[in-house]
Amino acid sequence: MTGFDIFAIAFVLLVIVTLFAGVKTVPQGYDWTIERFGKYTRTLSPGLNLIVPYFDRVGRKMNMMEQVINIPEQEVITKDNATVTVDGVAFFQVFDAAKASYEVANLEQAIIVLTMTNIRSVMGSMDLDQVLSHRDEINERLLRVVDAAVSPWGLKVNRIEIKDIVPPADLVEAMGRQMKAERVKRADILQAEGQRQSEILRAEGAKQGQILQAEGRREAAFRDAEARERLAEAEAKATQMVSESIAKGDIAALNYFIADKYIKAFGQFAESPNQKILMIPVEATSVLSSLAGIGEIAKAAFGESAASATSAARRTSSVPSSGPTPPPITPQQ
Amino acid sequence: MAEMFSTLGTWNWLIFGFLLMALELLAPGVFMFWLGLAALLTGLVSFAFNPTWQTQLLMFAIFAIAAVPAWRYFARSAGSRNLSSPFLNRRTEALIGREFTLEKPIVDGTGTVRIDDTIWRVAGPDAPAGSRVKVVRADGASLTVAAA
Repeated sequence: MTGFDIFAIAFVLLVIVTLFAGVKTVPQGYDWTIERFGKYTRTLSPGLNLIVPYFDRVGRKMNMMEQVINIPEQEVITKDNATVTVDGVAFFQVFDAAKASYEVANLEQAIIVLTMTNIRSVMGSMDLDQVLSHRDEINERLLRVVDAAVSPWGLKVNRIEIKDIVPPADLVEAMGRQMKAERVKRADILQAEGQRQSEILRAEGAKQGQILQAEGRREAAFRDAEARERLAEAEAKATQMVSESIAKGDIAALNYFIADKYIKAFGQFAESPNQKILMIPVEATSVLSSLAGIGEIAKAAFGESAASATSAARRTSSVPSSGPTPPPITPQQ
Repeated sequence: MAEMFSTLGTWNWLIFGFLLMALELLAPGVFMFWLGLAALLTGLVSFAFNPTWQTQLLMFAIFAIAAVPAWRYFARSAGSRNLSSPFLNRRTEALIGREFTLEKPIVDGTGTVRIDDTIWRVAGPDAPAGSRVKVVRADGASLTVAAA
């Protein structure tokens, strides 16, 4: 084997090794940093890349895709001294492979620790109720602080989300009771409110009813009064007409009228179907006086002749005997 | 084995070339395919001129080196350029030219805007919150804006 033979073989090997060292294919989603004699010089982007063999070396293969890291559970003491267990996730993406490679050692660990301490400081400044109800606010505050802190490392934290906030069991139980009491209170208040409303409505209805009734009575009274007035008027008119006619005529006509009515009234007594009781508003004397009245009528009717007067008196005396018994005092069984 | 190589002669190169090309399929992204191409070329030239094996080796080495520029040319040509999503993994560059409303004022050169449900810190001339800004430059994770 001559020297040329060995040279040829060595040359081919060298060429192959050099080619492998100089040609770099970077996959999509990654950026590779290149170090020349240990110092960072440039960044290879995805695709075919050539580097100078022997001088250049691939440093870090930086993942440029958005990545998720779990923020491990930790205990946080809130402003009102409640201890809650909190965990979360953070999404970050590297934008500058060189800074992410060389500005910070152990990138993920740095982000986790930074986020954890900030969770503590943000939640520590809030009350438990606030912590539980203001997650969005917590996330946003965390994002602002952490994103500002990591920006020198050439990366961006896109989101930080608190996953679970777990208060201690006895607190959860107390919160449950509080919630229940709150609802019971609301239910009671609502019920009382309803009762109040219904009673008001009922009273209102009764009031309306009474007002309407009173109004009805008032109206009726008015009408009654009117009717009585009309009646009185009619009576007055009738009386007037009677008195007028009396004034024009003879008083004896009136006496006849009264006597006639009186006697008819007695007749009605006699025919009364009620045979048990008989009211006696009658004074016999007054009946007799009415008889005297009739006598006067007769006198007036038949003139002054004595003969005729005596016959007239006989007739008049026969009038009561033909009628019902003048003193009907005895109760008839 | 050595005897077989010597009896096969120039066929060795062609077989070697095919093997390398097949290896490229198994381990893509490495330089195997171009080495295989260089081996095939060497084989073809050897059929024509029948040089000594040392010369054949040197020829193979030279073809392999020459394959680098060729490969580079194909890699850079239009076919391999990322046309459908040019901003893959380069989100900030996709934001250049877009306008946003300042969420926090730019004071002393830094403020924030809200983009796609996250907060971006921007650098630029001082401006009050609520004013419209346009992204003019993206450098890593930091955006430079100018008044729109």
